[in-house]
Amino acid sequence: MATIEELTASAQTAIDALKTANGGDGMFAQVNNERREFTEAEYDQAVVDKANSDFDLQENGYKQARQEAYKSLPEQLDMMYWDGVNDTTLWADHIAEVKEDNPKPE
Amino acid sequence: MAGSLIKLEEVTVSSSTASVTLGDSDWDSSYDVYMVQYSNVVPVTDNQEVRMRFTEGGTPNTSANYDYAYKIIETLAAGFEVFPATNQTYFRGVRYGNNTGEAGNATLYLFNMNSTTEYAFYTLEENAYINGAATIAGCTGGGVLTVTGTARDGIEFSFPSGNIDSGTFTLYGLKK
Repeated sequence: MATIEELTASAQTAIDALKTANGGDGMFAQVNNERREFTEAEYDQAVVDKANSDFDLQENGYKQARQEAYKSLPEQLDMMYWDGVNDTTLWADHIAEVKEDNPKPE
Repeated sequence: MAGSLIKLEEVTVSSSTASVTLGDSDWDSSYDVYMVQYSNVVPVTDNQEVRMRFTEGGTPNTSANYDYAYKIIETLAAGFEVFPATNQTYFRGVRYGNNTGEAGNATLYLFNMNSTTEYAFYTLEENAYINGAATIAGCTGGGVLTVTGTARDGIEFSFPSGNIDSGTFTLYGLKK
């Protein structure tokens, strides 16, 4: 698990490499219908945004992944019904599989 | 009523760009409500969501004062996702990618933008096609920037990582 400070350092390196002054392709803003390269303040903000985004993905990405992997509520209710009828563990197995496939960061 | 929707600015991204700002010098503060549409917005990088910030004096407000809540109804197995969040540094929309056909389309209404004493709100309706997951996602929700003291004069769009590859962004004022 990376700290926010470590991710900020990585973001700084990545954003610095993008600057045209450093031989990169640049980051551009389209304002008042004119396309121009980021100002230094905008590059600084891009570093903060990237670090925060990477940190959020690291800490919370599993939540969205789980939301997308769970079966629909009607399907889960159907699983529970058949688990009761057949003495199976379809529903618990499904939930456990989703959690295992998308683990919460330690 | 005919002629009630006044187009103030339209930006078409033809060369990939990290951010697009509507407003600034094209902002007309004579309206109470503004409508923004973006269409066929495609990210360069896969798995991105449109992020939005209000601008003040042409500069995006980057403070952690954005609260939002919205629900996505989708053809993924789960059927829906919910995204409530407070104290964020941006508003956000549906996550989608850059596979063939994937794009985001939305209509936003902006309220209290010119007020210095009231919070600025927005409502959002967005749909996105997510080819990789064979999903159509419809999103509805809204948010608020919980700061006062400075009037807002635009809205900035970006993705969390990578550029906006293409898309059209349009700002309208709703005539009183």
